[in-house]
Amino acid sequence: MGIEEQVMLFITAIIPIFIVSIILYLIRILKGPTIPDMVIAVDAISYDIAVFLAVLAIYFKSPILISCVIVLMLWAYALDIYVAKYLESKEMGE
Amino acid sequence: MINWVLVIIGEILVAVGAICDLIAAIGINRFPNFFVRLHALTVGTIGGAFVPLIGIALIALGAEFLGVYRFFMAGASVIAAILLLFLAPVGSHAIARAAHRSKAAVVHPKIVDRLEEDREKGVIE
Repeated sequence: MGIEEQVMLFITAIIPIFIVSIILYLIRILKGPTIPDMVIAVDAISYDIAVFLAVLAIYFKSPILISCVIVLMLWAYALDIYVAKYLESKEMGE
Repeated sequence: MINWVLVIIGEILVAVGAICDLIAAIGINRFPNFFVRLHALTVGTIGGAFVPLIGIALIALGAEFLGVYRFFMAGASVIAAILLLFLAPVGSHAIARAAHRSKAAVVHPKIVDRLEEDREKGVIE
């Protein structure tokens, strides 16, 4: 068995775990009682989707997909900071 | 030979990350309030995103079927992992501080909260 078949087999086995965790995070986003709960669930789902994209980049043999990962991480960080700023002082900062 | 070593180590790291992600997803659903769920979030951040990104970089270095651009892929994965290692704890601390100061999160099973008592007495601002 070559490297390619082994990596493809491994990724095929690992993809359902990511999908199950994404669905579980979605449940918390939909029923989260307060705003910070939803925000940390959105954070976790963005990091999870970033890793999932990196795995798919290997699976589809297209390394250019990896450039979306950095954008997703910075977006989740910006969401954190904006929501924290809004919760503390009730304004977005101009 | 070195390709096999890189690929196997990377696969182990990705598997550890997937398990951490699943544990964090279960925890974020079952923990009782916001400040406990924050713990599950950090498990899902460092264990579930930093570790598998390093593993992806190692797999991409070892897998020759990806073509020339696999070095670009490995570099971008390492950069994303290091950015995540710096930025994710900052973000979760900011959101925790804001939630505690603005009382946006309801802390229902609570034993004692000295910080809130001090803030009500005016000891700290």
